[in-house]
Amino acid sequence: MHTNGDNNEIFDNLRLELRRGCLAVAVLAQLRTEMYGYALRKALTDQGLAIDENTLYPLLRRLESQGLLVSQWREEEKRNKRFYRLSPVGEEVLASLQAEWRKMNATLERILAAPVNATT
Amino acid sequence: MPATDLLDRYLNAVKFWLPKAQQQDILAELAEDLRSQIEEREAALGHPLEEADLVAVLKQRGDPMRVASGYIPEHRLIDPSMLPVYRLVLKIVLLWVLAPLFAIVFIAPLFDSARPGTALLQFFTQAWRAGFMVVGMVTVAFALLDRYRAKWIDKWDPRKLPRVPGAQHTTARSNDLAGFIFGIAAFVFWAGVMWQRSEFAFSGGLRIIMAPVWSAIYWPVLGLTLAWALADFFNFLRPARTRVRSWVRLGLDTATVLMAGVLLTVSIWVDFAGPNLSAADAAKAMRWVNGTIQVTLITIAAITLFDAVHQLRLLLRAKSSRPSPILTVS
Repeated sequence: MHTNGDNNEIFDNLRLELRRGCLAVAVLAQLRTEMYGYALRKALTDQGLAIDENTLYPLLRRLESQGLLVSQWREEEKRNKRFYRLSPVGEEVLASLQAEWRKMNATLERILAAPVNATT
Repeated sequence: MPATDLLDRYLNAVKFWLPKAQQQDILAELAEDLRSQIEEREAALGHPLEEADLVAVLKQRGDPMRVASGYIPEHRLIDPSMLPVYRLVLKIVLLWVLAPLFAIVFIAPLFDSARPGTALLQFFTQAWRAGFMVVGMVTVAFALLDRYRAKWIDKWDPRKLPRVPGAQHTTARSNDLAGFIFGIAAFVFWAGVMWQRSEFAFSGGLRIIMAPVWSAIYWPVLGLTLAWALADFFNFLRPARTRVRSWVRLGLDTATVLMAGVLLTVSIWVDFAGPNLSAADAAKAMRWVNGTIQVTLITIAAITLFDAVHQLRLLLRAKSSRPSPILTVS
């Protein structure tokens, strides 16, 4: 029998899986404007998408190594910071991801809105 | 302790786990992020962070090794899709081969030993060593499979999947025929060549002297060989896999393992003698031949045990499963 604790754990795991793919899209979209890591994290958190630093920085590196982001070290407020922005390839990929996301979201909304007792 | 010292120690600990090529770059960014966080916390508190506050910031960031692991590309030893096969192979090797082998080869001498405590200790030491070695070898084999991308896993064919267990399923007739032919050949050899045989004499005076255990098991082996041959012949004529067939095979398997166990109770099965054979050569030949016999007996016992477990599983499955098909298409 599943307890409330089990259900919470199951929910947490499913939520984590759900978020995993979304994070990359959110980061790419946010970096249409150039930002450094700390500011990016704050911007995402302020918009309701809290992201752990240990997830964000490795993700930024991975996206950069895939050519979707470009970065440069620059001094700001007397400190060196690494600024990231979307690359031209990243822009193309983001557009495709955006279309895919909208399609998936519309499908999911349709499925969720369908009457519960409807059968095929 | 100064706050900068604690931060440096933390960064240094992370650095230890980072890939060399990216160490400085990652650390610079991590340090910058932590400093931004510290500044923000200080602004909120209205005073510089105390040691406890910094400890809280660093603890919130996480263990240095965990932080560094995020930057390291994921490496896997075994392809996750191969894990079910890996587990199955380990289970077969450890539970169905290694454990019974140890039971046959090592437990029996425990009872004969003058110092059972020492023998028991040796048994556990050898069992652990063999267990670790087997797990290691299987793991390395699967890691190599993963490394060199075994393509055969993608070449599967639904028509080659095993049949669903049930009363109507048949066994491979070619196997039964081969078993029958081999069984008859073994029976003829044993009956003709081993009858009242205590030694083999060759030209030049070389003699292979058989240990007394061979004459002691002459009749049981003869009977068992004939029984195996007849069972295979019957299965060839009636290939349906039935409970009777499984019971018969289980009985023959048990008898074969017992026979191998009896033979394994001695350590010398043949001896060499001859006028032109030096003591060193005789000892060398003895070691080699007896070693081969031992390995052969152990292999026979292992394969037979494996078959016995398989037959047992078939019997249990037949008992618990309904005879209806898995899927009913209506």
